[in-house]
Amino acid sequence: MADLILNDVRKSFGSTDVIRGVDLTIEPGEFVVFVGPSGCGKSTLLRMIAGLEEVTSGTVTIAGTDVTEAEPYDRGIAMVFQSYALYPHMTVAENMGFALRLARVPVPERRRAVEEAARILQIEPLLDRKPAQLSGGQRQRVAIGRAIVRKPRVFLFDEPLSNLDAELRVQTRIEIARLHAALGATMIYVTHDQTEAMTLADRIVVLRGGVVEQVGRPTDLYDDPDNAFVAGFIGSPRMNLLPARATGPQSLRLGTLDLTLPQLESRLTAGQALTLGVRPEHLQDAGQRIEMTVDVVEQLGSTAFVHGALGPDLPLVVEARGSRPAMGDRITIALDPARLYLFDNDGQRLR
Amino acid sequence: MANPRGRERRILRLLSVPMALLALSCVYPVYFAVNNALKTNRNYIMDRFGLVTDLTFDNFVQAWTRSNLDTYFVNSVLVTGGAVLLLLLVSSLAGFALALLRFPARRLVFVVILASLMIPVQVVLVPFYQTIIGLGLLNTRIGLILSYTAFFLPFSVYLMTAFYAGLPRELMEAARIDGARLLQVWWFVMLPMGRPALITLGILNTLYCWNDVLISLLVLQDKRTMMVGIAALRGEYTTNVPLLAAGIVLAAAPIVVLYLVFQRQIVAGIATGAVKG
Repeated sequence: MADLILNDVRKSFGSTDVIRGVDLTIEPGEFVVFVGPSGCGKSTLLRMIAGLEEVTSGTVTIAGTDVTEAEPYDRGIAMVFQSYALYPHMTVAENMGFALRLARVPVPERRRAVEEAARILQIEPLLDRKPAQLSGGQRQRVAIGRAIVRKPRVFLFDEPLSNLDAELRVQTRIEIARLHAALGATMIYVTHDQTEAMTLADRIVVLRGGVVEQVGRPTDLYDDPDNAFVAGFIGSPRMNLLPARATGPQSLRLGTLDLTLPQLESRLTAGQALTLGVRPEHLQDAGQRIEMTVDVVEQLGSTAFVHGALGPDLPLVVEARGSRPAMGDRITIALDPARLYLFDNDGQRLR
Repeated sequence: MANPRGRERRILRLLSVPMALLALSCVYPVYFAVNNALKTNRNYIMDRFGLVTDLTFDNFVQAWTRSNLDTYFVNSVLVTGGAVLLLLLVSSLAGFALALLRFPARRLVFVVILASLMIPVQVVLVPFYQTIIGLGLLNTRIGLILSYTAFFLPFSVYLMTAFYAGLPRELMEAARIDGARLLQVWWFVMLPMGRPALITLGILNTLYCWNDVLISLLVLQDKRTMMVGIAALRGEYTTNVPLLAAGIVLAAAPIVVLYLVFQRQIVAGIATGAVKG
């Protein structure tokens, strides 16, 4: 049985529609990441699952029970907040055991559960401290520990890493992945960082404007995006999206360049406006060759991102592995028709 | 050009003159009361402003026992204590609701409470007195406790609302997810977190209730609180000033003790109010 089912869930604040009909099924043990630009409704959707926001219409089902109207504590969920939201007047142990205290769990049992969670997160020496005496990373662990202690069916994470510095963020990300493997619990994770989404998720839900743009495994979204938005959002640096115009059923013109796409199944009409997508890392292998002048180079050591242009209004980023071009150099790039993505005027993918 | 350090020091030195005057004007009445409370009546009449020459503690004994200040003191403690506890309880509940819960007409309720902050006690004395009679609360300590609570509540609610509005909402949400019902959120999270504001409020309200004469005079007729009792020490034609001074010293003592104990929180609380209010 699925752990979480969202059925045509909607949310409006007054006349503003924030979530505009989301359907989603999450299987037990899955790690699902909601990702999207700020204001896309991902946090609101998570808070609706948690019961912190009312659902305007539609239903939320957790573990087979309709919880649309249920209070947060009756939903079998635990949540980790971006600001950690630790109770400042309680010690770490009291923070972690608070839910059990409210549930009137006997003290020895409570202590056992807290110590167990503290062991998993390696925060045993901190149990008697107050949150103010902890570093950001330690607070984040305590917040996760507070969630673990409750043994919820579903863990909810609301941008849990955005208050940490870059190094700690990578470290904590790995720990969350490890924790997911160890607990085998269902986890829903909200972030605006596509790298976090790609590295953590079993499945990614890409949201924009309160609508699900695409759901799928990270590699599926990367290899086979449904639309220009997902194509541009997933992958770093982002996919090059260039305006083009169809010249025949399977051919198009990009700037001064004529391209043929023999494997394209949909038929184009001549003159149709298109968007051509190509990832920076796919511009060095086989295919039609063109020269480009190097504008800016972002040197990363193992690789370099070369910024240039194929023509006016046709900026292009190329990942140059191996070679180390300099500003002003002429480099040759290769457009492989098999690696090109085509989108229609509305941003929908043409396969 | 003079160096800025030296300039600053000169300004500070200049400022110390008005500050000293201000301090003197605060200290002098205290000195006057203590000094005269220790004089005999004869000593006072002979030399009003000089230092005590005829030291006696008789005034204190007389004020405390023969002028009934002992029973008035108990009344004051009961009424002030009851009113302050009730004020803290109600204002922290109301502040929690107004700052963190969503309910219809929330803004309107808050505005009405704020508006009632602007109405001076004197304006509503007549309807207030009629209400007290109507409720059968005249001459009861409960009546006075409720009256103080009513009059000082708007400010207390305002302060607690401002304080709680400054706390992150996520704290309440975390508690809700941890399984706390609304009242448990208040008891386990909001009440302990409101401590600094509650201490400030407790001290301020103690001061107001303890020092009040007007409301007490209206509600309690023969029971009397300390301040009313002291006011009654003034005679129609003559006043025994040393006796009156002794009463004042006795009445001020608990407040002074309170100040000494909570000195640090009072200063911190005033600063909190300044920023959050």
